[in-house]
Amino acid sequence: MSVRARRITLDEWDRRYVELRAAGLCEPSYGGPLRRHAAAGDRRLGKLRMDNSAAALRLWNFLLTEEQRLHQARARGCRLLGTIKDLGTIPVMAYALEDVVAFYPDGAWWLPCLMENQTGLLEIADAMGVDESFCPVRAMLGAFVRRAHFPIPDLLTCSVGATCDDVSAIAQRLADLGHAILWWEVPHRRRPEPGEEAVELPGGFQAPACQVAFVRAELERVREVLQAWSGQRLTDDRLRAGIRQANRVRELLRELRRLGYGADPCPLPALEMLVAEMLAIHFCSDQQEAIGVLTVLLDEVRARAAAGQGVLPSRAVRVFWVNPVADLRVMNLLEDVGGRVCGTEYLFCHALDAIPENRPPLEALARCALADPMVGSPVDRAERICREASDFGARAVVISRIPGASHCALEGLVIGDIVRRRLGLPTVEIEVPPITDALEPSLRTRLEALVETATAAP
Amino acid sequence: MTVLYAGIDAGSRTLKVVLTEPGGRGIVSAVVRDQGIDQDALSGELLERLLDQQGLRRGDVGAIVATGYGRRLIRFADAAVTEVTCQAWGVRRCVPDARTVIDIGGQDSKVLRLKPDGGVADFVMNDRCAAGTGRFLEVLAARLGVRLLALGDLSDRSCRAATISNMCVVFAETEIIGLLASGVAAEDIVAGVQAAVASRVAAMAGRNLPEPIVFTGGVALVPGMQTALETALGKPVVVAAEPQLTCALGAAILASQRPLEVRPPHG
Repeated sequence: MSVRARRITLDEWDRRYVELRAAGLCEPSYGGPLRRHAAAGDRRLGKLRMDNSAAALRLWNFLLTEEQRLHQARARGCRLLGTIKDLGTIPVMAYALEDVVAFYPDGAWWLPCLMENQTGLLEIADAMGVDESFCPVRAMLGAFVRRAHFPIPDLLTCSVGATCDDVSAIAQRLADLGHAILWWEVPHRRRPEPGEEAVELPGGFQAPACQVAFVRAELERVREVLQAWSGQRLTDDRLRAGIRQANRVRELLRELRRLGYGADPCPLPALEMLVAEMLAIHFCSDQQEAIGVLTVLLDEVRARAAAGQGVLPSRAVRVFWVNPVADLRVMNLLEDVGGRVCGTEYLFCHALDAIPENRPPLEALARCALADPMVGSPVDRAERICREASDFGARAVVISRIPGASHCALEGLVIGDIVRRRLGLPTVEIEVPPITDALEPSLRTRLEALVETATAAP
Repeated sequence: MTVLYAGIDAGSRTLKVVLTEPGGRGIVSAVVRDQGIDQDALSGELLERLLDQQGLRRGDVGAIVATGYGRRLIRFADAAVTEVTCQAWGVRRCVPDARTVIDIGGQDSKVLRLKPDGGVADFVMNDRCAAGTGRFLEVLAARLGVRLLALGDLSDRSCRAATISNMCVVFAETEIIGLLASGVAAEDIVAGVQAAVASRVAAMAGRNLPEPIVFTGGVALVPGMQTALETALGKPVVVAAEPQLTCALGAAILASQRPLEVRPPHG
């Protein structure tokens, strides 16, 4: 921590980068000024306000060089595994193998935002019948067709069943195009019936033992395919080591959330917290480096918290945020109107929970997969949201709907209703498309009104 | 020196300016005008006109609070506050025991649940689409070739409201054309559209709305809408006095408070 913590524009980052370099900043191979990403097409950076720390610079550079990293991995002879609709299960298995790089093609859903709709990816999906009635994750389909972003993976896995209708439909379209997909199923999580053996899941949920056994069998099938595909034995010992590594990432993130959301004033902007949290599910295709990036970020947050430094005024209203946004700019907007994020449920909160290390590894992963908020009832989601919003001292809740996303169509209503009833907190539901510029006034009004409501009463 | 306080509600369809006495004790003067492109200049002109009518000057205004969709564009305002907060303050002044506010404006609609002390407990606003807003009624009036305020007289004559099944205004317009072509009486179509708007707002409001329920916004001026809302909600609805001005009144009340603990309009 060398300068006062604050959010700065891309122009300010140009100057900040020069200062950091002059002060002897050591960067990893993917380092460099943020401006180059904007010049290469990530134009949205020019409209964001980002944290001014060297740790944040590394985080952004790590995120924005993933495609490059994947191409380099292929050039090195690594096998690429695309893990579709996978919030932290198969990547844990894949990273237990040598020379295999797993990545998250669904991450392409941010490309229309970052590139301000200059990619044409959504238009490609439209032309293939996957139109705006689907979640913006359909950009992934465009990315596969265009072949201009991530390299086409050697193998794809996709979780289906109760996970996500949109992604299932998109992945089916990919399969039609000739991409080999290893499907694995996750059933809708239900509560055990009386007399049925119940199994504890991460996140405080329960499922019947037969469901855990089913998912475990699915993962056994995935293991066999991965072994044949990679030519390596994916033993339980290797899986345990992989789980320990993944748990290291999760542990760092839990601590980052505890401090980042708990400390007052807010030590790290919501935007960087969002990017960091996303590492839980895909590691930006380099698990070891993800640990390094998060360690440095956590050090920065610790130093700021210890010094009482923040990026926002201490009176900022504590807001719990539900669902990730398609347009990153909206995270800035909440802070601009006097709020701060004090907790999140981005649909992958189970990927932040520790994977049980005292269980056979595939059973442990099966339990985690079944704890996925997307495979359970929205009432379960709401319960976890209420618990965490309460723990983090939230004074208001934002439910950010993803346009077209089947999961968001009605879940927001259920969650909002339960949050209001249980916590009595003002709650607002907003819809965030990939580019919100034209909607900024109405989004601003909703968020600002929420902040006013939480702060004042006549 | 006389000190008044001003509230400017820069809504999506109309600009409203209200002058109040200290403490917001009553509306001294008010004006409503259609929106324009330069909201800052337009609201400045309206304010000057009101002050002229009272024989006052800008220096006699203690503070100005802007609200509404265009609040951040009113550069001469001392502060900007959202229409949710301002509406609550304005309604509380008109109906002190109000517990729910249903505000239907030109392009948006909102429902506020108020605490017993008048503070906002929670609120919901319409989505991006124009269903459940005054825009729906405007489209209907334009299609029928009648003035907006004449819709009430038409709906009063309806014996059997037509069913409008589409909530999207664009599609609903197609339905209206179809109904007219089928010979359905204009008054039945008007009653059907009013019921559709009310039903949309009632769905947004949710269950167990606390009473009294106060109806504000420009649409509250349209005869027939109060009844349509009461039918959709199954509860009595009170139209606020000067329903189009309550939000600007709330802004003026906030302007009269010291200290003015609200954000600057361009922050």
